[in-house]
Amino acid sequence: MTTESLDSGPLDPAPPVSAEMRPCASYTLRVNGFERPVTDAWIGESLLYVLRERLGLAGAKDGCEQGECGACSVQVDGQLVAGCLVPAALAADSEINTVEGLSAGGAASDVQQALAESGAVQCGYCTPGMAMAVHDLLQRNHRPSEVEARQALCGNLCRCTGYRGVLAAVQTVAESRAAEAEQAEESTAPAEEGAAERPAAAPVVTEQSAADVPLAGELPVYADSDAWVEHVPQPPAAGPPPAGHQGHQDHQSHQGHQDHQGHQDHQSHQSHQGQPQHQGQPGQPGAGPSGEHLGGPYGDGAGPSGGPTAAGTGTGMGMAYGGHEQGGQPGAPYDTGVYDTAVLPPVPSFPTQQGPAGQQNGQGYYQQPGYPEGAYAGPPAHGTPAHGTYLPGAPGYQEAPYEGMPYQVPGQQNGQQHGQQGVPYPGPAYRSGEYDTTDFEHAPYDGPVYESTPAHGTAFDGTGYDGTPAQGTPYIPTPPHGVPTDGAPAGVPYGADPAHGIVPQPSGTSIPEDRHA
Amino acid sequence: MLPASLDEAVEALAATPAAVPVAGATDLMEAVNAGRLRPAALIGLGRITELRGWRYEDGGTAVLGAGLTHARMDRPDFAALIPALADAARTAGPPQVRNVGTLGGNIATAAPAGDTLPVLAALEATATLARPGATREVPVSHLLTGLDPLRPGELLTWVRVPLLHAPQVFLKATGRSGPARATASVAVVLDPARRAVRCAVGAVAPVPLRPLEAETWVASCIDWDGSREIDPAATAAFGEYVAAACVPDSYAAEGPWEAVTEGPTAAAVRLRRTVSVLARRALGRALK
Repeated sequence: MTTESLDSGPLDPAPPVSAEMRPCASYTLRVNGFERPVTDAWIGESLLYVLRERLGLAGAKDGCEQGECGACSVQVDGQLVAGCLVPAALAADSEINTVEGLSAGGAASDVQQALAESGAVQCGYCTPGMAMAVHDLLQRNHRPSEVEARQALCGNLCRCTGYRGVLAAVQTVAESRAAEAEQAEESTAPAEEGAAERPAAAPVVTEQSAADVPLAGELPVYADSDAWVEHVPQPPAAGPPPAGHQGHQDHQSHQGHQDHQGHQDHQSHQSHQGQPQHQGQPGQPGAGPSGEHLGGPYGDGAGPSGGPTAAGTGTGMGMAYGGHEQGGQPGAPYDTGVYDTAVLPPVPSFPTQQGPAGQQNGQGYYQQPGYPEGAYAGPPAHGTPAHGTYLPGAPGYQEAPYEGMPYQVPGQQNGQQHGQQGVPYPGPAYRSGEYDTTDFEHAPYDGPVYESTPAHGTAFDGTGYDGTPAQGTPYIPTPPHGVPTDGAPAGVPYGADPAHGIVPQPSGTSIPEDRHA
Repeated sequence: MLPASLDEAVEALAATPAAVPVAGATDLMEAVNAGRLRPAALIGLGRITELRGWRYEDGGTAVLGAGLTHARMDRPDFAALIPALADAARTAGPPQVRNVGTLGGNIATAAPAGDTLPVLAALEATATLARPGATREVPVSHLLTGLDPLRPGELLTWVRVPLLHAPQVFLKATGRSGPARATASVAVVLDPARRAVRCAVGAVAPVPLRPLEAETWVASCIDWDGSREIDPAATAAFGEYVAAACVPDSYAAEGPWEAVTEGPTAAAVRLRRTVSVLARRALGRALK
């Protein structure tokens, strides 16, 4: 992409202007730990624009360009910021973390996994920002209350699914991480080999229960969903929320749970290889790093629009260019937008410890020894590519909407709904015995009831933005630091107070709102 | 360019007066993204660490760096110093914006709905403007109203805020339940040393407004030596007084005919009610 074509971008609608009108700068951004040079960029370009258009990191979404929607959330120097409101030139030598970096190993991070499994994804446009916001929240606050989670997410607008699923995901991840930390504490055996014994040692009560969420003792709305698992006494490590527990559950000692927890990975195997239940076999066509890791702009690494598959979330983005730069061809596949995998050297080896999800994934997937280099030559014989995974060389790939995207009901975890998100794919249709697209489409939706949006006036209960009605009735931030609110004086009960339309009465007379002055 | 010290930044700005000093860039980039602004050059102030904190002076003044972010002002240690400013910073926007948006940027942008502005006006803060070799002190209200505007090549560096050690309240009405721009905001500050109440109303006019008469009147109604109580009716009257002083009859009038023939417009009536409720509640909380 040439500079000229960039110049005609939305940031600069004016006809070509002289050089002094377009001051440009060259700088280096540190994105997800890698140095990415940016040359001759207009100084007015936002970080979001540079990330998306110049560096090919399309995870952060361009929603409003005003900092209102939060879809472009990235971390700059560890702080969550709106990428559209950061001049990229001034973010040079800052540490920038994007959603692609959440899952640097190619597997969804626990946050992304939880978002996918909580049904926090519908169209997915907001979800990269949500993932970053949740990630940022959980970095700062390991056990956020519901109110804190709402406060942290108040800058991320979602118009599809509402926020219940996201809030459930926050709790899920927080609990699984807490359980993980506790286990790490308890397991005095330092060696990783002792992992097989670990789950048995720690039947810590980590289940969600109504008491964990400050909802005045009632079950939250998502309590009937599968994201909510009231703890039933079970053999150890049959952990509560399915998402976060992949990290510390040992799949060898819990084969029974393997299918349940690892279904995402199964799914990506199947969808790529067209051969279900191929774990651990080396050299699967399509499982090579080139195919998987060109997640491209559609694998925004957010789980969401990238679909719920773990490996298909485009998380390979980070690794791909990382491996690429190590290979001495910095940024080649990204600055053009042409995802030419032929030049990609194979990503040498994936770290085995990718965090919680990565461990699970690592078993048969990323550690397959000996991918034949370039063995992946086009679409697999069967199988739909995991959503968000751009199959290189697939000729008909285009930016089609994700039509027919099945709603991922978290409960139906037979591992077959994931990934087939209607990505235009020229190959033969997915023919797996258990999965039938048409049936699924017409299946009644029996998923959890997600409240669409925080109801007006009830959304930010206690967050400091307490429910301003639309009539412009003043909004009273409740100061959390001990400033007492002025209640109704003299024991006068709160009366019905019309929110608007009252003609102000002359001073000195008692008007209804005096009672809560 | 990213100067690392205040002196460097001032020098750089003097060298290229057309350059735009940028701290959080939340307002600037919004304008740039919308095509309303085409900066000739940017001087990033984010590396100037001295401007990102505050210090004390004379025991009674806090000197706040212009680079103090809203997220920093929201923290409890700052909220203990200047509670109204902390409240304003907390409600200023989503975390993504508060993490980078700065106090100085709020003043320099001087947006009508800038949340810290009524607080600074009520606190009668003064701003320090630096240019090479010299600084000058300007009241923030003069800066905002254009009485003594920022001159080319000047950099807003410090904001002097008196520490009053008394209740301060900032209240804000928004159009939705999440963080949003204020439709009206009120800051009420008590100054027990001078036995004064200071109030400023934001977002109803291009600059924060001070209802001076209402302030002096309500200050005379308060028993400053005792429990600082006030008759609820006086509080309500204060609200009406403030609203009448700050919202003109012709607010949002479509044309001059509407202003003369119809009395207060519907928008004025509604906004007055909002402001009066905000002011009444703010005073009630401050005197609690």
